[in-house]
Amino acid sequence: MGPKTGVYICECSGNISEKVNVAELLKRFAEKGDNVVLGSHALLCSEAGKAFLDEEIKKHGIERLVVGACSPRQHEQTFRDVMENAGLNPSLVQLANIRELCAWSTEDGQEATVKATALVNAALARVAFHVPLEKKEIDVNPDVLVVGAGVAGMTAALSLAQKGRKVYLVESTPWIGGAVVKYEDVFPNLECAPCMLEPIMDQILHNDQIQLLTNSAVEEVKGFFGNFDIKINKKARYVEPQNCFGCEACYEACPVSVPNAYNYELSQRKAIYTSAAGLLPNVPAIDTANCVRFKGESCAACQESCGFGAVNYDEKDELIECTVGGIVLATGFELFDCSKLPQYGYKDNYNVVSTIELERIISSNGPTGGEVIIGGKKPASAALIHCVGSRNSETCNYCSGICCLSSLKLSHLLRKNVEGISISHFHSDLCLPGKNEWEFYNKIVLEGTQFNRVGSIENLKVEKGKDGLMITDGENTHGPFDMVALSPAVVPCKDSKTLSELFSVDLDAHGFLSEAHNRIGPSATNTKGVFLAGCVQGPKDIQGSVVQSLAAAGGILSALVPGEKLELEVATAMIDGEKCAGCRICNSLCPYKAISYSAEEKVSIINEVLCHGCGTCVAACPAGVITHKQFTKQQLLAEMMGAL
Amino acid sequence: MSNFEPTIACFLCNWCTYAAADHAGSNRKTYHSGIRIIRTPCSGRVEPDMVMKAFREGADGVLVCGCHPGDCHYVEGNYKTERRMRLLGRMLEQFGIEPERFRLEWVSAAEADRFIELVNEMTEAVRKVGPMELTSEAVLASEKGGAK
Repeated sequence: MGPKTGVYICECSGNISEKVNVAELLKRFAEKGDNVVLGSHALLCSEAGKAFLDEEIKKHGIERLVVGACSPRQHEQTFRDVMENAGLNPSLVQLANIRELCAWSTEDGQEATVKATALVNAALARVAFHVPLEKKEIDVNPDVLVVGAGVAGMTAALSLAQKGRKVYLVESTPWIGGAVVKYEDVFPNLECAPCMLEPIMDQILHNDQIQLLTNSAVEEVKGFFGNFDIKINKKARYVEPQNCFGCEACYEACPVSVPNAYNYELSQRKAIYTSAAGLLPNVPAIDTANCVRFKGESCAACQESCGFGAVNYDEKDELIECTVGGIVLATGFELFDCSKLPQYGYKDNYNVVSTIELERIISSNGPTGGEVIIGGKKPASAALIHCVGSRNSETCNYCSGICCLSSLKLSHLLRKNVEGISISHFHSDLCLPGKNEWEFYNKIVLEGTQFNRVGSIENLKVEKGKDGLMITDGENTHGPFDMVALSPAVVPCKDSKTLSELFSVDLDAHGFLSEAHNRIGPSATNTKGVFLAGCVQGPKDIQGSVVQSLAAAGGILSALVPGEKLELEVATAMIDGEKCAGCRICNSLCPYKAISYSAEEKVSIINEVLCHGCGTCVAACPAGVITHKQFTKQQLLAEMMGAL
Repeated sequence: MSNFEPTIACFLCNWCTYAAADHAGSNRKTYHSGIRIIRTPCSGRVEPDMVMKAFREGADGVLVCGCHPGDCHYVEGNYKTERRMRLLGRMLEQFGIEPERFRLEWVSAAEADRFIELVNEMTEAVRKVGPMELTSEAVLASEKGGAK
């Protein structure tokens, strides 16, 4: 005789009993013998109904329970709680959905009774194979790793640090601020970008909870949600921040001069350098690829020039190891390389620039100190071409969403900078979403900027004419222009593939890191505990990046609470290590990378922290040795046979 | 033949099609009572031999449903279902099981009406081909498949 099982039918205040003949249904189960206890109630999910079940469980010594009621999607948890409160394991209950799947969806009462009987019979057959599942908890580390110290990474780090979390903020360059500090002003309110970031950067540098690691890269990630073991390589800067006062005496002393990549090679810098004035921390770094001392010469010019002994050629790279519970990836974006589309004459003509180069030219800490000089003179006329590389199936098959607004902003700044300049935009559509952006566009129109709508941006051609640059659009020719600025698409950061492998986060079709769900999971990833913030996940403006950063911080703050354990999903899959042949078919099937192969034991192992319980590995195992704890093969077959 | 009421075993994924079936009920839309629904976490949990066993146990038809491609709650479980079930479908035909009896469909949680259309349409199609009678050849073959 099996365990004593209770079969209770809920009338659902008539919703079920008006269609299904409950008495007749129960009569069918009367012959099941003494170990099946039968009963019914007007409304089992009510307080009275739950108390009734509790009494019945205790009175009859019921060990397992079948409830014929509504959808498990509505009340499965209710009856699991009833079981738990009665001292039974919550896994030992099964609902038969005789309301949505039967009483409400069957025309004829007699047929509904037959069907309800079959569904209750299926649940009774299934529950016999249920096993008690125990909740598991693991200790977690509440610290967080944030990769990338642009506006997204800094926002996430500060938000986490405010709640007392220790944050390791890793930045690949020697300075923080990311892409936003490169801009003079930002759209649509034309606020000064460095001024906007200043308080955030100041807090980053002075928050005791944040360990800022500039000039650093994550080299190894092991473990999983709650307990990631991280190795970071902190590259030597050769200038000691505690001794450097940012006086810049070393720049003058340095004999080397190389193009400054930060200004898109529009200016020169030294081998000991800061990419632009005002970058924080205000401490230079030595570029060993160009420094003559690191090439074997005996130069010590910068060290000799430093009055504070801050230059230290003996500094070594440092390996930093830490354990964190959660990770935020905020490594930003790159811009489409305009030279891939030769029709625009980029790189062939010094007067054709990309909009980000124009940003630097306009910027007061840029190559010309904020004066717009293109091809040696102030331009009297300018053209801006939108959508370079964007919305093109061959290059970037998406709209970056920020380039139109950034081009409008540059138009305004050019006009402010060069008196009397005439400006023409060339676009096929305009993307101006948001509550302030349309007004901003109208403001630019009122300033006198021309907007030329063309059929296809790809068919535009920029050529050198005798008086300047000419733009042809099929039969029409526009110009001459003294300068042309190309507005390129936002593309994935150059590290995205490396990050994808290092952190086990998928890449999307465009090469950006992929979010868990593009509507309801826009910051989480399919690797539990790894979140995305900013343009690493896709093109977005500053506002969008900040919002996503706060979402990432919120996700981590609510999931990893200091002193609290992490409760694991009960309904996971498990592999019988005794029987696993180690074929590894399941390894590559798992969308959550929860299955790995143990070379030592020669079997595959499922990590319960990472498993979401989809069961696709269970169905694929050729030996049938993977079990889904809540949907075992026996349970499903028993249910199916009971229903037929 | 017209009195024949087919029984159809339906394996529905919890997140999309099971939810659609719930909504169909909530909307008080009725359909054929021979539909027997078995809830699975994902259509990827359905093993091909469960389908074979359903036929053995007396189902006149078997329907496997999941989320639309790209919408899987578990990222890509339905792609695995697609591969497994397409292959199974071809095998079933060779066993003499008519194609009307076995279907793989994607029905989202928002498609309650489509779910009803689907099960009613399938019921009628199965009604036309008649009750499931496994030939001895098919029984032997499915025994072999089931014993893996």
